[in-house]
Amino acid sequence: MAARRLYRRSRLVDRRVVRRAAFYLLLIAVAALFIGPFLILLSSAIKPATQDVFGFPPDLIPRPPVVDWFREAWTTIPYARFLVNSLIYVGITVPVYLVVSALTAYPLARIAFRGRGLFFMLFLSIMFLPGELMLIPRFLVMSQLGLTDTFASVILPAILSSLGIFLLRQAFSQIPDEIVEAARVDGANEFAIFWRIAVPIVAPTLAVLAILGFVSVWNSFIWPMVTLTSQSKFPIALGIAYLSGVSGTDVRGLAAGTVLSLIPVVVVFLLLQKRILDSMGGAVKG
Amino acid sequence: MSVTGMSGLNGRVVGQRWYTPYLFMVPGLLLYAAMFAWPAVIAVQLAFSDYDIVNPIRWTGLDNFARLADDPRAWIALRNSLLFVVMFLPLTVVAPLFLAMLVNVKLRAIQAFRMLYYLPVITSMVAVAVAWKYVFNREGVVNWMLQLAGLGPIDFLFDRHWALPTVVLLEAWKNAGLFMMIYLAGLQAVPADHLEAARIDGANGRQRLWHVIVPSLRPTFAVTLILSMLEAMRAFESVYVLTRGGPLDSTLTLGYYIWSKAFEDYDMGYASAVGLVLWAIMIVLAAVNLAVTRRKDV
Repeated sequence: MAARRLYRRSRLVDRRVVRRAAFYLLLIAVAALFIGPFLILLSSAIKPATQDVFGFPPDLIPRPPVVDWFREAWTTIPYARFLVNSLIYVGITVPVYLVVSALTAYPLARIAFRGRGLFFMLFLSIMFLPGELMLIPRFLVMSQLGLTDTFASVILPAILSSLGIFLLRQAFSQIPDEIVEAARVDGANEFAIFWRIAVPIVAPTLAVLAILGFVSVWNSFIWPMVTLTSQSKFPIALGIAYLSGVSGTDVRGLAAGTVLSLIPVVVVFLLLQKRILDSMGGAVKG
Repeated sequence: MSVTGMSGLNGRVVGQRWYTPYLFMVPGLLLYAAMFAWPAVIAVQLAFSDYDIVNPIRWTGLDNFARLADDPRAWIALRNSLLFVVMFLPLTVVAPLFLAMLVNVKLRAIQAFRMLYYLPVITSMVAVAVAWKYVFNREGVVNWMLQLAGLGPIDFLFDRHWALPTVVLLEAWKNAGLFMMIYLAGLQAVPADHLEAARIDGANGRQRLWHVIVPSLRPTFAVTLILSMLEAMRAFESVYVLTRGGPLDSTLTLGYYIWSKAFEDYDMGYASAVGLVLWAIMIVLAAVNLAVTRRKDV
């Protein structure tokens, strides 16, 4: 009797273990769909020249792994220059983006003035003017301003986003009134309240926007392609497109150059993933 | 609203003048004017003009639109863009819901899996396209699997029947993680007691999905639907990096057609007219979407 009960219980446990294992297998299979292409890219990037990149069955383990292709990608195009350019674009765009978004969102959340709703709608309308449709007129505006083929022409259109203003407005409006009133009684003017009290409180939102801004600037490709003609100003994404167009680039060299360009975003993502993933849900729910 | 509470709209709070809010918004408004409003005005002007960059802009009235109606490539582009939407919708509105249900569990490693599924979202389209060209190569991994199944080989990006579906698949794959996170946020807001009640009433998995989860996700669907449609309508970058509209215009979308007319043929006026049409379609889609989802809410 007791033995039978024990047997039944162990079977129950077994079934749970099997179920859990199957679930993990499913999770891993789906993960393979999403990171498989990156792994194949990486494998191609470290394969020696003697090993085929393509063929049936796929031969994905490099024998032996080599780093030559990274050197090749680095020297075929001015890779370091492109990386530095991208860092400059990110380094200027993101802080300016945060400051401008915060300045714009603050009165929309905390100061009562006529037309406030209208101004908010105005900034939200940016959503309906996507970059793809603004290529031509922006190109003309940049020519009128004499800014085509400059760093400024890449940075200026990237500073305003409806998401940034939307999220910051929401964050500012959640600041408890008592905190602001206390500062006001102490004689702080509106800008002092904004800078010394409100901005530090919304720091988590600013951090999320900084990450999203970093990713979007690092990956931006179409607009820089339209406005930039000097290779010396290319960001890295444009550099990769350029590398793939250079005749005689080995498929392994292209893979290596591409892998290299992914490292900064992937590292930032791995370090700050919790914040990014949490924010995605919040942004939508908000 | 403390501000109004303390002083009302007319009386000002200490340290605030009538221009204070505008002062804050000066940089934002200037940028809005220079980078959005002014270009939008130019875009509309160009749509009714002839402009080739070299000669000055010449007003031509509705000529561009008359040309558009007779332009077979414009119709191909429209058809491809609509096909894009039709294929893209189930891949981004339905499939990621199951993805979200998969990762909506309490396991120690689950955050790592969410992160892996999200990885394509944060990588650049250029890089992703390079990776896909390896995977979908004639002698790549996908064709190897097809061969094991006794199929293929298929030249995915060079076959005019397969190129568009392949580009759509790339866009969907790249965006799946984003849609998954949107659904995950929605799922975590589904009241647990409703699910529990359904379970006690003996509802099976599929019934719970249809009668409890889907109805309470209605606001989320409103978001994913519109996001998916707009994303598909304006698809350009993926086309540019994968196929350049080819082969034989089979992946020519409206977005790509605009780019190629403007920056390859320097036919800026005509390209702007196509752009205006695309913009109008997007606005209509958004409006219809809003109307439909609003009505359901009532």
